[in-house]
Amino acid sequence: MSNDVMIYANDLSKSFGSFKALDQINFEVRRGEIVGFLGPNGAGKSTTMRILTCFISPTGGVARVNGHDVFDEPLQVRESLGYLPQRAPLYLEMSVLEYLRFAADLRHLDDSVFRKRAKSVVEVCGLAQVLGKEIRHLSHGYRQRVGLAQALIHDPPILILDEPTSDLDPNEKAEFLDYLKQIGQERTVLLSTHNLAEVEASCGRAIIVSRGRIVADGPLDEIRAKSGRVRYVVSVQEAVDGAAYRGRGTPPKKAEVEEALGKVPGVKRVGEIRTDERAHAYELVSEQEVDLRPEVFKLIVDRGWVLLELHRDSQTLEDVFRSLTIGDERRNRQLGASADGPADEEDDDDDEEGDDEEAAAAPSGHDEKVAKDDRS
Amino acid sequence: MRNILIIARRDLRAQFNSPVAYVVVGGALLLIGVMFFMIPRMAGGFFVSFWDVDRASMDQLFEYLPLVLSLFVIPAVTMRTLAAEKGSGTLELLITMPVRDSEVILGKYIAACATVCILLAGTLLYPIAMFTWPWHLGSLDWGPVWSGYLGCALFSLAGVALGMMLSSVTESDVIAFFMTSGVLCVLYAVGWMVSVLPGGLGDAIGFVSFQTRYQAFARGLIDTRAVIYFLSVAIVCLLVSFRSLESRKWS
Repeated sequence: MSNDVMIYANDLSKSFGSFKALDQINFEVRRGEIVGFLGPNGAGKSTTMRILTCFISPTGGVARVNGHDVFDEPLQVRESLGYLPQRAPLYLEMSVLEYLRFAADLRHLDDSVFRKRAKSVVEVCGLAQVLGKEIRHLSHGYRQRVGLAQALIHDPPILILDEPTSDLDPNEKAEFLDYLKQIGQERTVLLSTHNLAEVEASCGRAIIVSRGRIVADGPLDEIRAKSGRVRYVVSVQEAVDGAAYRGRGTPPKKAEVEEALGKVPGVKRVGEIRTDERAHAYELVSEQEVDLRPEVFKLIVDRGWVLLELHRDSQTLEDVFRSLTIGDERRNRQLGASADGPADEEDDDDDEEGDDEEAAAAPSGHDEKVAKDDRS
Repeated sequence: MRNILIIARRDLRAQFNSPVAYVVVGGALLLIGVMFFMIPRMAGGFFVSFWDVDRASMDQLFEYLPLVLSLFVIPAVTMRTLAAEKGSGTLELLITMPVRDSEVILGKYIAACATVCILLAGTLLYPIAMFTWPWHLGSLDWGPVWSGYLGCALFSLAGVALGMMLSSVTESDVIAFFMTSGVLCVLYAVGWMVSVLPGGLGDAIGFVSFQTRYQAFARGLIDTRAVIYFLSVAIVCLLVSFRSLESRKWS
């Protein structure tokens, strides 16, 4: 089983000066997993990826890629992965084909292997039209495709993609995500993005980082449940237009439905979502992890209403993401002011202590206490 | 080793795919041509030009070549090696390929040296055109010419390594250009002060100056101390650029 762990990070930390970009993060990615690496800007996504690709070294902790340690065997680590850095920095003066050949040469692919791989990669990334063009003349979307192509050229078991879809148009994105799912079956993919819809579309699992820490890690459903608030959308037919009403008796009144839904155990709040005149949609917010759908369904069947729609809202990953990370942003903004504050205070403390010592006015016990406080 | 050559080949091709190499080599040849034929130099208290000397000698060329190299050619060739790659982020993609940092440095070093050597080879046109074909202005003593070229080549090896070192500490190629140009010119020009300065200080400056080391070659003397000096400068500078490239991991 442990053989299947392709990416392993244990207590990984990275500090830039006094700034902690990563603070003891732990995660594992297994073969065949596509993992979305999420987080606000500056959360440490790129830093993690750069450590995994041995571009920078961690200040603490262990990271292993395909069983190789990033400290001891950087070449083996890099051999087993394809990496697309943010914004696909390519050599602009080279043509696409030249670039792919360069990447293949550095990975020691034979010419015949290169031809075969290049053919499939060019097809997958849609580069046939631009093979002879210099990269400087390509749009950002195409540059990103070239970056992806070079990451795939040696058919690596592990792909690390830093915001691979940021410059693609919606069609390209969809194509790319489809392709990712396809190749992700026997490979390991770690991709970072801001776009939660992409994660939902392609990843089975997400890791959410914020301020250098992992705040959530697991299958998407679990993460959604983790916010403690699950949202259900129910809509019930409340009026008929000419056609016969298929429910029992007459269509219910709005207040009646609202009241009944509010009484379902576990529902914290019922809100109305504006739709059209004939039906009413309600938003139920629950704070329990229990699935409310059976209860809601049963209620509607018992009353003989016509149920038009019932689902757990799939958009909540966005809510989860925001609720997990937004506090940090707020803290970030305050940091500018507060970072100076404590530093100044510390200085003041030191000065006072010095004064005390000079004057030797305070009893020695007090001095010790101050020193202890400072240390702690 | 294979990676070094792949990187060197790519860099060399990149230089000759863009106008940079042509502008540098062409511009340098033009500049050397003007200096060689028209600008008189100081020799024995007189200003003499190539035509005034009345001797079959390439002294003029070897007087000016190091100046053109250090002012213009070496800085222009080395400025982009690491600075531009760091600035544009391409270094990240290159380094995350399965290559060692040392291979990146050496590959780029070889490519830059090759460009300078292409220029040096271009200047061979002067002795050939003047003294063998199509003109025979006299019978040239080729010994000092070859030793002069050896001197220039060693000078370039050290200079290019120095330029790469300076290029590795900045992200701007403009800054890299002027730093390299400045440092090389100072290292060269301090040689002129050796005779003016008193004993110990003059000796010390003579020891570090590229000019005093180079002069022997121009006169036809292969001085092993100078060979070792230039090679050591090159090695030290390469080691520093290697460390500076590696330092990205820890910053």
